[in-house]
Amino acid sequence: MSTHDHFDPSRRAFLGAATGGTALTIAGLPSQALARINAPHDHEELKKTTEVFGFCDMCYWRCGLKIRSRDGRAVKIDGNTEHPNNWGVVCAKGNSGLMVAYAPNRLKYPMKRVGKRGENKWKQISWDEALDTVATELNKAKEKYGPQTLALIGHGSWEKPYHRLAHAFGTPNTTSPVFGLCCGPRGVSNMIIMGRNLTGNETIDLENCKYFLMMGRNITESLHNGETLGWVNGVANGAKVVYFDPRYSITAAKADEYYAIRPLTDHAFLLAMINVVINEELYDKQFIAEYVVGFDELKERVQKYTPEWAEPITEVPAQDIRRLAKEMAAKAPSVFVYAPRRMTRTSNDFGTGMAITILNTLFGVWGRKGGVFTPQNYKVPEIDLPKFEHATANRIDVGGDFNYEQPEIPIAHIQDKDGKYQRADGAGVMGRWPIANPQYGLTNEMWKAMAEQRPYPVKALMTAGGNGFLNSTNYDIIRKALETVDFYVATDVIPNEMNMYADILLPEASYLERYDDLQVGGGREGYVAVRMPAMKPLHGTRDAWTICKQLADRMDLGAYFPHDSIKELIDDRLKKAGSSLAEIEKVGILKIPADPKKNFPLDHGGKLKIKTPSGSSKAEMIPGMLKMMGYDKALDYVEQVRPNEDEFHMTFGRIGFHTHARTQDNVWTADLMRENVLWIHPESAAKRGINEGDLVKVSDRKGRSGEIKAKVTIRIRKDTIFMVHGFGHWDSRMTTANGKGLADSDLASYEVDPSIGSMSMGLSLVKVEKV
Amino acid sequence: MSKQYVMLADTVRCINCKACVVACRAEWETPMGHTRDWVTEVELVQNNQPQVMLFPGRCQHCDDAPCIEACPSGAAYKREDGIVLQDNCICSGCELCVPACPYEARWLNPETNAISKCTFCQPRIDEGLEPTCVQTCVGRALIFGDINDPESEVAKLLQEKEWLQLVTDEVNIGPNHYYYTAGEAIPDEVMPKLNERHLPGTIMKNVVNPVGAIGIGAMLLTFLGAGVVKLISRRDEVNTSENKEEK
Repeated sequence: MSTHDHFDPSRRAFLGAATGGTALTIAGLPSQALARINAPHDHEELKKTTEVFGFCDMCYWRCGLKIRSRDGRAVKIDGNTEHPNNWGVVCAKGNSGLMVAYAPNRLKYPMKRVGKRGENKWKQISWDEALDTVATELNKAKEKYGPQTLALIGHGSWEKPYHRLAHAFGTPNTTSPVFGLCCGPRGVSNMIIMGRNLTGNETIDLENCKYFLMMGRNITESLHNGETLGWVNGVANGAKVVYFDPRYSITAAKADEYYAIRPLTDHAFLLAMINVVINEELYDKQFIAEYVVGFDELKERVQKYTPEWAEPITEVPAQDIRRLAKEMAAKAPSVFVYAPRRMTRTSNDFGTGMAITILNTLFGVWGRKGGVFTPQNYKVPEIDLPKFEHATANRIDVGGDFNYEQPEIPIAHIQDKDGKYQRADGAGVMGRWPIANPQYGLTNEMWKAMAEQRPYPVKALMTAGGNGFLNSTNYDIIRKALETVDFYVATDVIPNEMNMYADILLPEASYLERYDDLQVGGGREGYVAVRMPAMKPLHGTRDAWTICKQLADRMDLGAYFPHDSIKELIDDRLKKAGSSLAEIEKVGILKIPADPKKNFPLDHGGKLKIKTPSGSSKAEMIPGMLKMMGYDKALDYVEQVRPNEDEFHMTFGRIGFHTHARTQDNVWTADLMRENVLWIHPESAAKRGINEGDLVKVSDRKGRSGEIKAKVTIRIRKDTIFMVHGFGHWDSRMTTANGKGLADSDLASYEVDPSIGSMSMGLSLVKVEKV
Repeated sequence: MSKQYVMLADTVRCINCKACVVACRAEWETPMGHTRDWVTEVELVQNNQPQVMLFPGRCQHCDDAPCIEACPSGAAYKREDGIVLQDNCICSGCELCVPACPYEARWLNPETNAISKCTFCQPRIDEGLEPTCVQTCVGRALIFGDINDPESEVAKLLQEKEWLQLVTDEVNIGPNHYYYTAGEAIPDEVMPKLNERHLPGTIMKNVVNPVGAIGIGAMLLTFLGAGVVKLISRRDEVNTSENKEEK
């Protein structure tokens, strides 16, 4: 039934005249009909929908969702107000998830390569033929080279079953870019000093924090709903924001103070901060006495890093460094030194990460309101599985693809006493990258291992989502790897430049079309969340778990996938936790309520439980394990590259409505930004005769170059250029993104952090000229 | 007291993530190239330092809405609760209301050949839901509610802080959309502007209408072709729905 409502005919000036007679009589309408026009207006009514729960897959934060469907089709993605990752809000990327499922150019049917690798010539084949081929080829490689010859690179939709399949196959070589190409240095820094991960979904008490020192953490544009909202709330609650970035981002616009710090020099600034905090006794004395070892040695080591030393390096005035240190100390422990999300920039990211952890620790933020809270975890046991012969199970199989739990034996994989295969990328391997996290590995080093076939043959590759080209930097190595392996199978929902090289391409159902293994997480509340299909898989697509099970069955690995369906697996796990699939489907998420005593033990007379990788029950300012291995030199500042007069620092970053390199072809997010532009300072532009909108050529010292339009703005330093990451696609299947903008990834540097092997992407120096 | 709906935009909380824009697109299936809401990023230079201000925008649901006066078919109307709506059944798609709006909030939907605009999500709020942009807003910068309810969040916020409207000396038509800028002046870029193509309502009322019988021809032709079909279908629909009700 329509709702009728009042309206004011006097407003309808023209119609008033019309009903007077003449005008519309000309149009041939009887006066009876004119009276109808004056009838109350019909109001549009909301169309009826059904709802299911899920969690997002548009980025790796994984917000809780409620998805509305009508006539068997998902029509709107809303947030689940109960989910602590987003509290009901959903960003533009999350809202655009529908266009992943409905993309006319998504991967629809299994395909076999018929041209050369990377030539994009395909033939549609049946699922049986595709899966048989994959099983046969993988087994062939195993027979010839051993199970470790398989590399699995994941960066897609809930990649957990692929990791399980690879581990069951017997390879330790499973990796995701999250470590080596993104957050690695931060994770290791917190782990090795504090025994805490503090990455993934960070456990920061944002709402109650009173002072954010943000080292390039562009939280408004490299945004995760719950984290960003928490921060916005914190700022609204009166927190001071001091933001450091060579570019005036939107976060800079929200800050109380902004420093256009010289690129790559955050570490120098942080060391000077530590120097002031220690020398002026601004640290939390009680916390240091009770929970910290190595303070005296730290004090000695940072003496040379005075604010006056840091000023010419960072271009942050010494007096400001002193003032900021004092301001923070006055607000401690409700303060936080915020690391950048992606921390693979300088030639010593590990040192930068450790300086951040140390500074936070000096302010005693751990376990305190307004600082870092201790998360609660919802215990959901894994299913019973046979032992993994070669790969330790304490990896991706715990808690989904973000492991919130502190592993019982962190960094346990340094030496393999049991004769298990060492990783080809060297993560966790003595003599190579012993302190790199082998749960996610070093994707950059895995590509190298494939390209060079060292230290042993890696002849088979499976990728589950991701885009090796645009999420990394060294295109030559990646291309060589993709051309060198004997067999490459890719699964994904959408086409991209990496899966273009596959021998067999398997089309995955999108996250709106499938069940998946549970999302187990820990915030102030512990939680477990479910992903339910909002519609049936479109085209000939299948969900990840089904693809893996069907492959496992073909390779005699069915014991690792003991259930008949993913629904049974979920139900099995939940029953072990005292619930069931039926129960969680009604609410989407099960939670342990927040508990201030557990979240903030030090505010409630409790104690902090610390266990570092070297076995210390206190935070180690100079981690013993590092000293033993000679890596403690990372604590010291390393001089960074400098551009010549005619060069720039090459920087790149995020915008709030694109995720990495995977949304440029999504028609809804693309409508918000179709191509990236080069940010350049007006003075630097004028010197080169560059005006707004001009096409310019950017070239680096390695001989790589590309063209892009200029945005002339004072929002960037004179010695720095910036572009939004993820553009410059060249896969002809990507009909929206193909040929738009420039790929920063083809200009970023690919040196590695000497301590942990993660990539240093910010060392490129480029020239810019008008085309 | 009747309801009076308003939208507040706390620009300090806005981060230009454009969640509102895409949520609206998904909710109302707007065609590519058009949106009912938007976020304007204004880059300013003050003392040689950059400054960025963000303004989420949409129909301002003005008290004295010129679009309603400009609409020759009576499709544009204001509901008692202040929401300016467009009756798709009547709208001829003549687009006379488009230049009438100084906020550029109206556009012709090529798929329906009717005018589309923000409705404050009328179908949603009629069911007790929030507008979709408000529900999805990442920074919770958008706040919607009934200004006449003293207990509502909007009523309280309007009391607590100093809110501005997008009005100028030239255009001051009672927008029901408020902005908080923490004391900063609103830049000209987002201020409403009279469109020179717009035939002001006063002309409609004082000149066009009285002489409508004779002088209307030229104007009429602009909407007649498309309009008549819609008017007839509207008549049929009203007849049908009345018949149903009688049964």
